[in-house]
Amino acid sequence: MNAIELTNLTRNFGDFVAVDHVTFQVAKGSIFGFLGPNGSGKSTCIRMLCGLLSPTSGSATVNGFDIVRQSEQVKQSIGYMNQSFSLYRDLSVSENLTFFGSIYGLKGAHLVERKKQAIDLVGLGPYLNQRASELSGGWRQRLSLAAALIHEPELIFLDEPTAGIDPVARRDLWDLLFELASSGKTLFVTTHYMDEAERCDQIGYIYLSKLILRGTPQELKELPEVCPPGARRVGIATHTPAKALSALKKQPFALDATLVESEIHLLMPSDTKDESVLQAMEAAGAPGYNLRTVEPSLEDVFVLLTRKLAGPTQ
Amino acid sequence: MNTLNGFQAIVLKEFMHLRRDPTTLVIALMIPMVQLTLFGFAINFDIRHISTMIVDTDRSAASRQYVETLRTTDYVQITKYGQTSHDAEDAIRCGDVQIAVIIPPNFGRLTSLSLAGPGLPPGRLRPQVKVLIDGSDSQVATQARFAFVKPSIGAVEPRFDFLYNPDMKTTTFIIPGLIGVILQLVTVSLTSFSLVREREMGTLEQLMVSPVGRLGLMLGKVLPYLCLAMVEVVLVLLLGRIVFDVRVAGSIWLLLLLSIPFGMATLSLGLMISTIAQNQAQALQYSLLVTMPSILMSGFLYPRETMPGVLYLFSFALPVTYYMEILRGIVVRGAGFADLWQDVAALLILGAILIAISTARFRKTLA
Repeated sequence: MNAIELTNLTRNFGDFVAVDHVTFQVAKGSIFGFLGPNGSGKSTCIRMLCGLLSPTSGSATVNGFDIVRQSEQVKQSIGYMNQSFSLYRDLSVSENLTFFGSIYGLKGAHLVERKKQAIDLVGLGPYLNQRASELSGGWRQRLSLAAALIHEPELIFLDEPTAGIDPVARRDLWDLLFELASSGKTLFVTTHYMDEAERCDQIGYIYLSKLILRGTPQELKELPEVCPPGARRVGIATHTPAKALSALKKQPFALDATLVESEIHLLMPSDTKDESVLQAMEAAGAPGYNLRTVEPSLEDVFVLLTRKLAGPTQ
Repeated sequence: MNTLNGFQAIVLKEFMHLRRDPTTLVIALMIPMVQLTLFGFAINFDIRHISTMIVDTDRSAASRQYVETLRTTDYVQITKYGQTSHDAEDAIRCGDVQIAVIIPPNFGRLTSLSLAGPGLPPGRLRPQVKVLIDGSDSQVATQARFAFVKPSIGAVEPRFDFLYNPDMKTTTFIIPGLIGVILQLVTVSLTSFSLVREREMGTLEQLMVSPVGRLGLMLGKVLPYLCLAMVEVVLVLLLGRIVFDVRVAGSIWLLLLLSIPFGMATLSLGLMISTIAQNQAQALQYSLLVTMPSILMSGFLYPRETMPGVLYLFSFALPVTYYMEILRGIVVRGAGFADLWQDVAALLILGAILIAISTARFRKTLA
């Protein structure tokens, strides 16, 4: 059974179509990564699934409940963690958790037990009596997660949970998410980080309000648009990446060239010789080295497909 | 789904917010006290000791005696003496005095004549004085005329018997009304911020994705502030007693009990504002929009019956209109519940309507 099912879900704001006939399913117990540029419709989609916005047309079920007719049941059965910190800053960690626990109907010994479990899971033990405003970004996100988990929802929506927190806190938070997923929870995560996307079981990529990609990270990398037959993707290290990139883009053999971290990823016909690539770079005054065949990254996938959809001008 | 869901949790949370923010709490409690003290002294229709100039051109025993009788009334206070009527006009124009009494040269002679001969035609030869009054402040002018009213011989002399407020003190009338107006001002603003603040902080969205009941949220927001409002009622009554010597003629317990429906109604009014306003600045504007006119329309200063039709009808929609009746009834006239039940019923109905509107307006979905 699926935790989430969307069927032609659409939402308009006036003339603007924010979410355009989006259809997909999320399997129970999986981590679903929902990706796309800012303003592509990710948050609108999540808000509809959480019952915060009603769809203009189409339908969706969450945990088997219809998002329009059974929005209160949907709300009882999900956890929601927003990209901006949305707990009470003047209340302590413990008071925040007590409040959200009781809102979901937990009381007495059960509430105490659930609080303890949530606190232990996210490691907030030493900060119980600190006000939320005094916590650092990473700890705030942990508190938000604990609050989203307090009523033991089977499905948790996380809207950019790692936005604006430091790399270590980000890594720790993802370790937590894996722990949750391994205990059978379904996670619906939006993110801009490609390394986070790589860790998801399934990915949906939304662009200009439409879902354009859907699959496992591996499936996406093997798409024919990403790895056309007769073409090869190579990685080239260089000290002058900007210069090298513009030089390579002018070469007739360059099918596509992007910068991935400090390396250039070049897509070229399989019969292009490594030496001619390096010679071209040398000639442009931006020598390259360590040229080797590489797997496409998810970033390659999204950049390539987004460019293709954006039209021939780019 | 239970629409009252989460009521208890919201109440506890709101109390915690209040405890965490002692500044707001102290300000909320102090503002009514400060306002009552300031306005209580400032609003006073008991105009006495109006500065007066005497221009005595007669200088007889009779004129001196007349000045003496004027002096004994509290209305005028003789601050200056002048020589001519020009002096009098000058003194009023430059604001030195507000009344000038000019006694003509024949005053003493006419006085002795009118006392001696009752057969003389009345009016023509009766002694007269000219009184100049600065009419620019109509309140002062009206009061000033009282100083010169004398019972005329032969006319029926009315004997007044004031049932309540025998001293005709304004404070007895103003302070209870002021308490109502000030309590409304504070209670409306207390709740008008509540939902908007959560919207601005982003916490409202977290509440919206929870199964919290709409009515539970609304009532949960009102109850803690109702407790605060009741503390304020006690404080302002104490202050009225200590500073203005306004004693509650009726039962103080009844007054406190009947303050509850008033608190419910005004807090709900604030809550309704909170469901309309998009941010705290707007909430402040809206609450001023409601509370300022109600100061004039509730019957606090002027009788509601004198207002034009539409305004008169509008005054029925204001909780403070009914509370004004309750306050003045219990504090001044010692009224009991049987005299006031209609006002109580009106407050309860108004409160229920306002809560219903707020609940209906508040959607657990974004715009």
